[in-house]
Amino acid sequence: MRIVIGLLNGTLAGATPVLLAALGGAFTFYAGVFNIAMEGMLLVGAFCAALGSFFSGSWLVGVLCAVAGSVLLSLLFILFAIMLKTDEFVTGIALNLFAAGATTYLLRQLFGVRGAFTDPGIQAIPRVDIPVVSQIPLAGEVLSGQNLIVYGAALAVLGCAWLVFRTPFGLRLRAAGYNAASLESSGVRPARVRVMALLLCGVLCGLGGAFLSLGYVRLFAEGMSAGRGWIALAAVILVNGNPWGVALIALLFGLADGAGLLAQGLGVPAQFTGMLPYLATLIALFVYARRKQRAG
Amino acid sequence: MRQKLFSALAGIGIALGMGAIILVLEGRQPLDVYGALVALSLGDIDKLAITLKNAVPLVLTGLSASLAFASGPVNLGQPGQFLMGALAVTLIGISVDLPAPLMVPLLLAAAMLGGALWAGAAALLRHAFNMSEFIVTLMLNSVAELFTAWLITIGGPLAEAGALSPRSPAIAAGGRLGEIGPFNISIAVMALAAVAIGYVFYRTRAGYEWRIAGQNTLFARLGGCPVDRNFFIVMLASGALAGLAGGLLVMSGPYRFIRGIGANYAWDGVMIAVVANSALGATVLYGVFFAALQTGALGMELLTAVPSEFIQVLQAVIVLVSVAGRGYLSALLDRLTLRRLNRPSPNSS
Repeated sequence: MRIVIGLLNGTLAGATPVLLAALGGAFTFYAGVFNIAMEGMLLVGAFCAALGSFFSGSWLVGVLCAVAGSVLLSLLFILFAIMLKTDEFVTGIALNLFAAGATTYLLRQLFGVRGAFTDPGIQAIPRVDIPVVSQIPLAGEVLSGQNLIVYGAALAVLGCAWLVFRTPFGLRLRAAGYNAASLESSGVRPARVRVMALLLCGVLCGLGGAFLSLGYVRLFAEGMSAGRGWIALAAVILVNGNPWGVALIALLFGLADGAGLLAQGLGVPAQFTGMLPYLATLIALFVYARRKQRAG
Repeated sequence: MRQKLFSALAGIGIALGMGAIILVLEGRQPLDVYGALVALSLGDIDKLAITLKNAVPLVLTGLSASLAFASGPVNLGQPGQFLMGALAVTLIGISVDLPAPLMVPLLLAAAMLGGALWAGAAALLRHAFNMSEFIVTLMLNSVAELFTAWLITIGGPLAEAGALSPRSPAIAAGGRLGEIGPFNISIAVMALAAVAIGYVFYRTRAGYEWRIAGQNTLFARLGGCPVDRNFFIVMLASGALAGLAGGLLVMSGPYRFIRGIGANYAWDGVMIAVVANSALGATVLYGVFFAALQTGALGMELLTAVPSEFIQVLQAVIVLVSVAGRGYLSALLDRLTLRRLNRPSPNSS
């Protein structure tokens, strides 16, 4: 039983950053932006969260800094891809490089360290005990006492689904990707909708990044997004952006992550358990492709 | 052509200007920093030799990405293919001992095969199940990184006995590439590979088909090109180039697989291809240019105390500015040219 609870907790923790980044990616996917900058946004978010939390002594400031940093990257994406009409793929690649370079450089400049920055002054995002739920045996240990951002991510799925499918904004968002010309003819500028989608993506990736450096662990390490942004992108492409599908894939990824930690405890080399999320993504891609082949 | 060159130089110039602003904001002398950068990468023949040696992995991974992008396949797997090439060289190098004239070609072939197989796996998944090579190659990067890390981890199957850091045993002496004068032989191998792939790409029928498919797959298919087969071949060739980069790094430098061997080149190949707009000649030039930046960076840190990581930021700025500027500037130049041509010449009327 303990193992199952450990696995479920590991699953939620592993799924959260991927889920938040993938929800952000879902907005841009619907808006018809080929956005591959989630990896960089997560990394910048994680860095800014550690930075803000360290200098202010408050995790909340850290989270706000993470969102601000990640949105800054969104603004750069908007400047280059939407205003200057640079190729979206190229912009995304360049922003990811920029994120990796800038965080490494600033890590060195501001803290004088290479590799990783850890300090007792970094305040972690608190865990939340839900009063009644925490009393339920077993289930309480999973449903209650999770990191604040985990609950935030769960709410974000609901919010994202509502926004995309039940609001005028969502309709315009989907129209921007589906048929930008007809959206334009109805008097809405697709570029403006895309800007909104990118900003939302920045906010969500910022939260995901904050979870990486202030929730999952309490430090910033170079390249600590470790491909999660790419996995988020894979999830978005797999389910065509559907928020519920994104949540499912993210949980699957989290499960692979959690199972990896478990297997590591049983003596499997960490390098192999570390491969699980990537292999799980490949398997998901395979299943998806087979289904599509059969349907087609 | 002149216009392209102008916009490329303008992009680099603007980026260096922005870098200078960052430096000034930090209270440093940009001219000193850039001066140190140039002096320590291109200052004399020995430094030039080091820059060119450092350019080998950049140029080859850049060519790998450019070849793929210009022909259609989105191969983002250079980091993984690089590692597999390095691994193949290491495996053969520690188990076979031949005289250099046999050993070097054998190892070069192994490097290309290692990279090509890793890229081939992605191509196969795409061919058989229509799985996007874009995501597959990315995921395989992480798998290759973790797999090779496990092999050489202390006590791992490929680790050197008694080593204090994760590394493999050294390859046989026959497989090590030395220097001719100050220049490492790997530079010649790189040049040969660049010329060969350039010839195939721009001068043969196969290369013509690849380029057509890269611009318009449907047109290539309707024109009777074997699009699927070409996709496969391009992926293999692209992987082979990245694998060669990894193999040459082992053969010319540490002579063994050490941890983090490809980390510095992870995204550089894609970056260079993107800046060069997937043109092979420009890829070589940008590869050398970025190698000069990276080589000078370490000296710059010694002389001016600017952290060498500054170069990473500068590189990303160069990519963004020159790519964004490319479209913008050529539109602007076109308009200027048009205006000049439309102006009534004084001799007429």
